[in-house]
Amino acid sequence: MQIDWRSKLKHANWQLIIAAPIAAAILHICATLAAPNLTADSAYNRLAPALPLNKLEVLPPITPDTEPLPFLSPDARYAFCRFDSANGPVSVSATLPPDPGWLMAVVSPHGDNVYAAASTPDRITPIRIVLVPSEAHFLGVTPEARGIARDEQPPVAIAASKGIIVVRGPDKGLAFRDEVESFLKMTSCSARSF
Amino acid sequence: MLSHSALTPLHLIWHRISKRIAMLLAMLGDWAAFLGVVLILGLGTSWYMIDIGTPLTTERQGPWVTWTSAGRADADPYTRAHFARLGTLPLTAEMTLTHLAFTDSEGRRLHSSCDYDIEGREPDASWWSLTVFDDRGELIANAAQRYAFTSRSIAMRPDGTFLVTLARDARPGNWLPTGGAGRLALVFTTLDPSAPLLANPQEQRPMPEIRRVQCR
Repeated sequence: MQIDWRSKLKHANWQLIIAAPIAAAILHICATLAAPNLTADSAYNRLAPALPLNKLEVLPPITPDTEPLPFLSPDARYAFCRFDSANGPVSVSATLPPDPGWLMAVVSPHGDNVYAAASTPDRITPIRIVLVPSEAHFLGVTPEARGIARDEQPPVAIAASKGIIVVRGPDKGLAFRDEVESFLKMTSCSARSF
Repeated sequence: MLSHSALTPLHLIWHRISKRIAMLLAMLGDWAAFLGVVLILGLGTSWYMIDIGTPLTTERQGPWVTWTSAGRADADPYTRAHFARLGTLPLTAEMTLTHLAFTDSEGRRLHSSCDYDIEGREPDASWWSLTVFDDRGELIANAAQRYAFTSRSIAMRPDGTFLVTLARDARPGNWLPTGGAGRLALVFTTLDPSAPLLANPQEQRPMPEIRRVQCR
């Protein structure tokens, strides 16, 4: 029996046939954009409940028992600080030693690195940043405006309302563990007033 | 066969109802096909682009897959969704590149029942590491407490190449234990803040080759 394609095409619901790829494209866009919000297993959702607010926490060496996130390599030691600048700016200062492999990043809940800095081999890298909510960049009257001479670089203001500060230092073995930990502990993360 | 006069009002009503049902079923059939196509096309392509990636979002070299916008503030929605679903904390691809491999260089799934040789040349990076995980991203517990080699801890050959052996039992040289983890994943991380790592995407970086040696 032969199929009468001409008749089938004549009676096909062309409105639905044309609407299908358009509806699929809309669903594709919605599903892709919603995916980060629908997953409960994102890195931020996993880490946030265990981290104190606006306080740095140096993690123990990464082992199968202490691995806080999947695919987190034990090649480095980590310090995390969960921050929320909704009630005021958060000051962050860190010192990266002149050693390759050190990195500091401000990571948003969606995984964007809104700020990142790495160590340089020749000198210590001091980092001073202040995290402010996106809509508020005023950090108060500057020392210069109040007639006070400033003897250090002003901190860099970064718009980030929520997220995690990651400081990562290479784990060079047991002999260097104290040194790496001391640099991680030099990082500070605290709420400040305007 | 009933004559025209035999068609009672009841028959007429039944005829009309059955005609309407047939029309409704035909319409529902069209709508079911429409919904099926929309769901498969819409969700399927979204899943593929988030989980597997395309040349728009990833760079592939042999078994190694790299998400080129990982952690960047201007990352595309697929990359964002990929890392949210994976549950990892991506560091910006401008400084750190994370290459993930679930297969050997011949495309066979990495498995702890097999031994592998991973051979490569020291990458042009200030610091790098090679770590073995199970396919869920968990470290594999082992008595040697050995999970990774870094540019500092690996024993290099004099010609600037290295060989790492993945095996269940102890091996001489750079051995990473795989225990009875089942399916495996390898992560090769390079860090070079001095040069943009993806400045020239066409330029092929030398990536380690993963060779299956034997299986039990």
